[in-house]
Amino acid sequence: MSDLKRTQLYDVHVAAGAAMVDFGGWEMPIKYPTDIVAEHLYTRHACSLFDVSHMGRILVEGPEMVPFLQHVLSSNVMALDLNQAQYAIIPNENGGAVDDAYLYRFEEDRYLLVVNAANTDKDLAHLNEQIKNYDAKMTVITGDWAAIAVQGPKAKEILQKLSGGEAITEPVKNALNTLQFEGRTVRVAKTGYTGEPIGYEVYIESAEAAWLWNRLIELGAKPAGLGARDTCRLEACLPLYGHEMGVDPEGKEIPVFAVPLAKFAVSFSEQKGDFIGREPLAKQYEVFKRIMNRDFSDLTGLPRRIMPITLLDKGVMRAGMPVYKGDKLIGYVTSGTMVPYYRHEGEGLSTVILEEAAKRSIGLAIVDSDTLEDDKVQIDVRGRRLKAVIPPYHMRVDAPPFARPILYRPDEEDTAAASGDRAPKALKLIGRALENHVWRQEKCVNLIPSEMTPSRAVRLLCASDPAFRYAEHKKVKSFYDADVFYYQGTEFIDEVEQLLVEEMKAFMGCAEVETRCVSGQMSNTCVFSALMDWKNRLNRKQDPKRLGYIMNNHIIKGGHLSAQPMGALHDYIAIDPVTERHALVNFPVCKDNIYKIDVEETRKAIDQYRPEFIIFGKSMVLHKEPVAAIRKYVDDMGLQTTIMYDMAHVLGLIGDHFQKPFQEGAEIVTGSTHKTFFGPQRGVVGVNYKKGELKYGLWETIESRAFPGSVSNHHLGTQLGLLMAAYEMNQFKDEYQKAVVSNAKSFAKSLKAAGLDVAGDPAIDYTETHQVIVNVGYGTGPEVAMRLERNNIICNYQATPEEEGFTASGALRMGVNEMTRFGFGPAEFDKLAQIMADCILRGREVKEDVEALRAGYTEMKYCFTEEQAASALNELAKKTGI
Amino acid sequence: MNFPAELKYTKDHEWLKAIDETTALVGITDFAQSELGDLVFINLPQEGDEVTADESFCDVESVKAVSDVMSPCTGVIAEVNTELEDEPQLLNEDPYGAWIAKVKDISAYGELMTADEYEALVQK
Repeated sequence: MSDLKRTQLYDVHVAAGAAMVDFGGWEMPIKYPTDIVAEHLYTRHACSLFDVSHMGRILVEGPEMVPFLQHVLSSNVMALDLNQAQYAIIPNENGGAVDDAYLYRFEEDRYLLVVNAANTDKDLAHLNEQIKNYDAKMTVITGDWAAIAVQGPKAKEILQKLSGGEAITEPVKNALNTLQFEGRTVRVAKTGYTGEPIGYEVYIESAEAAWLWNRLIELGAKPAGLGARDTCRLEACLPLYGHEMGVDPEGKEIPVFAVPLAKFAVSFSEQKGDFIGREPLAKQYEVFKRIMNRDFSDLTGLPRRIMPITLLDKGVMRAGMPVYKGDKLIGYVTSGTMVPYYRHEGEGLSTVILEEAAKRSIGLAIVDSDTLEDDKVQIDVRGRRLKAVIPPYHMRVDAPPFARPILYRPDEEDTAAASGDRAPKALKLIGRALENHVWRQEKCVNLIPSEMTPSRAVRLLCASDPAFRYAEHKKVKSFYDADVFYYQGTEFIDEVEQLLVEEMKAFMGCAEVETRCVSGQMSNTCVFSALMDWKNRLNRKQDPKRLGYIMNNHIIKGGHLSAQPMGALHDYIAIDPVTERHALVNFPVCKDNIYKIDVEETRKAIDQYRPEFIIFGKSMVLHKEPVAAIRKYVDDMGLQTTIMYDMAHVLGLIGDHFQKPFQEGAEIVTGSTHKTFFGPQRGVVGVNYKKGELKYGLWETIESRAFPGSVSNHHLGTQLGLLMAAYEMNQFKDEYQKAVVSNAKSFAKSLKAAGLDVAGDPAIDYTETHQVIVNVGYGTGPEVAMRLERNNIICNYQATPEEEGFTASGALRMGVNEMTRFGFGPAEFDKLAQIMADCILRGREVKEDVEALRAGYTEMKYCFTEEQAASALNELAKKTGI
Repeated sequence: MNFPAELKYTKDHEWLKAIDETTALVGITDFAQSELGDLVFINLPQEGDEVTADESFCDVESVKAVSDVMSPCTGVIAEVNTELEDEPQLLNEDPYGAWIAKVKDISAYGELMTADEYEALVQK
């Protein structure tokens, strides 16, 4: 093998006893003595190292680097921000692939293009031909920098030991970072070819490659060869050039859109201009869209597509084996083997990955484009027709930190429709409801920051007569904006609504309030819809323009779901034509406190994006939002930006002990009435626009987006309850709010003293709100929260700003609001902190201690409890039959 | 690498363990399993199959490839080790214990080597 090239890590592989093979002209480890099955499983269960230094690494720089890359790649290079990577295809003129590649932007002024080892020479010949027309240059740095893929659920933990605890990258796919590993500069990408949700590729100067590899092994990673790399990528359904790209087993070129990843890797943005292969790719895309709509009438240009395939009979499929549907040859296996996996048991969040491994026979195939998921097919395995099926996928990664193998299961038969005598069912339901009520109200300590038990008065009012009525109403200009009701019998609710509006105006400190939204999310939808309508009010003759740029808190930095494109912004946010992504920019956060907005950096982002709409507010919230500072900056800049504060969590804290949003310059405040506020579950919108101002029209639009835009029936019972809650709040807010904030600080300090890792800034006693965040260890949040629940402590697990998603959560989010209302003070929260530490750190069963603690605190505070109110409530209860 | 003295070996890396004049167990050698790597599937012969010396009677699959297993003798399959169907890795873990088939009515043998001869062959 003397002609073969060797990577910087060749000697390390040989010393480790690797079996070395020729791979694309490189002498590479196919496996180590542990062998492929163990290497695959160790990747899925812990962390493997793969030497990927053989891959071609090309630096692209120069004044015309972007136009050059736009011309030779399928992706939109303009969409690539600093410290991001993107998958791309290097297309040829026919709409096939010269190669597939990854483009990295570690620096403003140069790009790193990584291509397949075996194709590097071919790619360079192709690219060198093209670059002649551009003022740009390419430098091959394959020999200067080694590349090590560090893949698996323990990858982050291991790398953080080398970074001294510093975050490796943002916790999202394709994020990049440059940092120091024990004094050596490394470039890290959250990318990889194993499908692992926690996987990185680390670039380091050649001379340090062996050092890094050996350090990673000392820290618990194990080497894995090309064999395991192939089984991992196959399980993840990632294409391999020469199998799923290039030419198929019949010798025909595989169109780029035959590969499912193509729809992410190909852009037809105007930014790209006339790139290589654009025309045939655009034709393929048209066919692709028809296929997705199950119109198979004309498949010219895309007759076959790559799909996953699973063998149902015993055997192993291999590349090149024919696939049949009935008697018809529909294509060929492109990759296939037996792939190991760990068995699991349990359902949902209680799923446990077992130590017992099994194997399954899976592959990828290029099959006729009219093949559908769940189609039963056969594979010709050396003369025998074996049964197989087209599954939707082989693996999922949406429950990190583990990649989850998905075994093919035919749909279970529908359970028979419920039938029989309902009377016993009704009785059972009542019994279960009583059990649940007693458990949550008398035995549990409730620490969900989004929840609040309302007072008896609020609950009774919610259930009294208006609960069953309708009261649609709308202001009519002909009657000087008097509210006109569409139904009779509504005089009482009319009065209630007017009183509620006045109470909420007084509480929020603003000019107008809309109380008809039945949830906080609906309040946001109303506002977003109204803003878009307002933006387009002068031109109704074309499709309305959506909103953008919008600035908000990123969901992983604590942002509200209801202020995200996946939530209430969904139908109202524009796509930036340059980046082809949502016109959204997130508040930068402080480096030393990821829970706090970095005002200085925010100013820079405002300069750059000039957002038309800024949304403050979070659901994981420890700090005040810098409304005043940003209002001033926006005004100084002369921007017409609308500033909203989504106070869902902190609505009940508006006042002297937290923030006064309108005084600080917010124009719109939305909120939920049942988190820190005392009410039943509803939403509210307040604005500070006054009659005669230009934006008063926006307020009127918000009203019309509430009704008739969002509700026809605005749930009158809970509106009545909310009025009582507003009376309670306006009466008791000073002592309640003060108690909430001081209890939260006190609880945080007690938790810290009890040995728990409390997030936030110790200088302010960790929190300025009702919330306390405790770190319990990466990926363990769900387990700890369930353990606490079994012990009658109800809180929620929470992904911190450094974590990938809810199943990888390493924190608990807690609120002191509800228990403060039941009379908990610093002493009770201190006792609770001790109990929680016992349960979390020492695994003790603490259910009895929790019940004993709760038993003394079932009387609601901060509500009207005097004799007269109590007897009036008894009368109401009697009459309403409750 | 293990080469039990009581077995006979073929150049294609199968072993044969004589039970009596016309009956024997056959399997693959330690060297074979180590070269093939993790075995993930075996396509076993069936009871009653007639097998011929130096012809394929079974195949084994590793993650990377499929390999034929050649019969060391001519005869009739008397029994197959069905345990291997679910646990082909037994061929890796215990190659001389994990016999593949029992052959009866043996009428001829292929070219067989002693342990010493086979060891010399694989160490070349």
